[in-house]
Amino acid sequence: MIFTELRFILLFALCWITFFAVPRRWRNATLAAFGIAFYAIFAGPAVLGIVLLLTLAAYVRAPALLFVIALIVAKIPNASWVVPLGLSYLTFELIHIVVERRRGRIAEMSFTALLAFVFFAPARIAGPIKRFPQFRDAVAEAELSGDDVYAGVLRILLGLAKKFLLADILALTVAESQYASSMRQAWMVVLAFGLQLFLDFSAYSDIAIGFARTLGIRLPENFNWPYLASNIREFWERWHITLSQWVRDYVFTPLGRALFGTRLRPYPSAIATISYLVTFAIVGAWHGLEPRFVLWGLYHGVLLAIFNLWRRYVPSSDSVPRRALGIVVTFFFVTIGWVPFFLPLEKAAHMWALMFGLAH
Amino acid sequence: MKVRRLLFAILWLALIDLFIPPVLQRAEYARYETGAVYRFENSDLFALGPMVRYLREHPRGPRRRTIFLGNSVVFGYGLETRDALPAQFERLAGDTRVFNAAVNGSESGDSYLVGKAVIDSVDTLYVQLIPRDGARPILGTLLPVDDADARRFALDHTDPVEAKLQSLLGRVWRLYAVNDRLQAALFGTSARQYLYLHKRELLLAALGRGRHPVGGQAPSPVGPEGQARRLSPHREGSALPRTLLDLADVAKTHRKRLVILDFQQRVAAADFNAQYAPYAEIVTIDVPQALRVDTQHLTPAGANAVAAALVAHERERAP
Repeated sequence: MIFTELRFILLFALCWITFFAVPRRWRNATLAAFGIAFYAIFAGPAVLGIVLLLTLAAYVRAPALLFVIALIVAKIPNASWVVPLGLSYLTFELIHIVVERRRGRIAEMSFTALLAFVFFAPARIAGPIKRFPQFRDAVAEAELSGDDVYAGVLRILLGLAKKFLLADILALTVAESQYASSMRQAWMVVLAFGLQLFLDFSAYSDIAIGFARTLGIRLPENFNWPYLASNIREFWERWHITLSQWVRDYVFTPLGRALFGTRLRPYPSAIATISYLVTFAIVGAWHGLEPRFVLWGLYHGVLLAIFNLWRRYVPSSDSVPRRALGIVVTFFFVTIGWVPFFLPLEKAAHMWALMFGLAH
Repeated sequence: MKVRRLLFAILWLALIDLFIPPVLQRAEYARYETGAVYRFENSDLFALGPMVRYLREHPRGPRRRTIFLGNSVVFGYGLETRDALPAQFERLAGDTRVFNAAVNGSESGDSYLVGKAVIDSVDTLYVQLIPRDGARPILGTLLPVDDADARRFALDHTDPVEAKLQSLLGRVWRLYAVNDRLQAALFGTSARQYLYLHKRELLLAALGRGRHPVGGQAPSPVGPEGQARRLSPHREGSALPRTLLDLADVAKTHRKRLVILDFQQRVAAADFNAQYAPYAEIVTIDVPQALRVDTQHLTPAGANAVAAALVAHERERAP
């Protein structure tokens, strides 16, 4: 884990001291310099060069397609020559920059500020996916505060505890998947994976948010008790929030608008269904260019489309029993969906069969 | 106020750190030198590095030391710790401390690296003959290895800057430096692996309904002795893996005894045994199918029979 490597901690400590020691106008340069050093140390000069080129491309407003291609290349399975340290997150952030500059929502942006945004080390490993305007303002307004340092350190410790005391122990149960031979074992492994993934991923977010907080910079939250969601839409409002918001803003909404300009205009449910399927196929592929991830994404697209239709005919209710039932049902469907996320397709099929008593 | 809390927490850590050396010393003595049977929990590698470091720091113990290296056959796949070959050997041999340092899936290169690392801290090495010379890359981060071996086996290595920083921090924060040794000494593996392996017992113990899993292990019923065939050290067959030849050279140089256990390979032993006597020897072991659970792994009785035969063989050759 890079966050616990002493080189990272030392680099961050030096960055922290410099950040508050230099005049405010040099803060972006400080973050950029230490971020570049971080990439050079942990990813090597080749990846650093790629990231610098991508950053430059974003600065000169290259077409967003360029970054999509970069993302696809980075996601090619077994392409170890790419070594994309957080490149998935990075390309989404760069697409955000390019699109928002086109839309005129980012009017002024210095190259140094862009470098600081791109190379901000705590968020570079596993997100959260930042937005430039909020980040730029947070850097400019950051103050040295004991409260922030305390809250940041506690958040880092919380993340480390989640990772090492909970997620890593659950991972040992998940590793039993190859020996699972009964319905009970299959459910135990899949439930363990669902919890492990949440704890592991949210731990990385906690640590990233904690490191940033010690600098007085608030990063966006990424998780909000997702397994307490009472429907699948709410789940995606609580799970990997910054990714959900990104695909909402840059895939789902533009696609829906485009479809409204076609002959599908009288059929909003069809437009929503197509938009969900396309959006979540992309979400799946973003996690890995393999059929199993696309299947997982499409599964969630289907769930969201069905929920969208359901909501048209069945009004929502905040009654406690209905909400409790919604939590259970949502958790059940999300849990089933994790199977291809951690197992190759043929093994996933066997695991599903075991879970539902169709195999021995 | 909150900064004061952080400082207070750091003070607590500093206070706790004062007690780390004696706690570690007691835990390691209990783990490595007392009568409790020694084997890596769940055949994982976590405790290997700490065990090697302990042995290198304490080259002499209260008793003679014997280490067993190999794969699941020596580890005792499917057997209780006390029923595995090394544990039975310890019981039968008397005044010798036995370390079962076998790990499932090991190859001869793994045994070579571990054996070389502890050669000055043990009296006898029993090494299973495995026809493959490979070594796990991670051993480069767990064991002291020289550059030639690191290149030869393409071992992983800790970044030198990271290693230097770890060393510097370890000097001022002892818990940081020895946390893996403490875990290995207390649990025989990492704390998380231990929690995972013993979750049921721990839960029952917490509820007051069971025995805490930490503690001595009950003695094993000794299996039928005398079922092992005679050890026959002079059979001819295929060649010895290069790494074991190298380990024999190391044993000879350091004047330590190396016994290569040939369960199935039938290597040419006569010339080797003549060349390396009295330091290294290949012994061929015939184990009847009745004493094996499959084509390789021993039953408790099989392990007992092999252990008895090995002990008898050593007594025969001793003056």
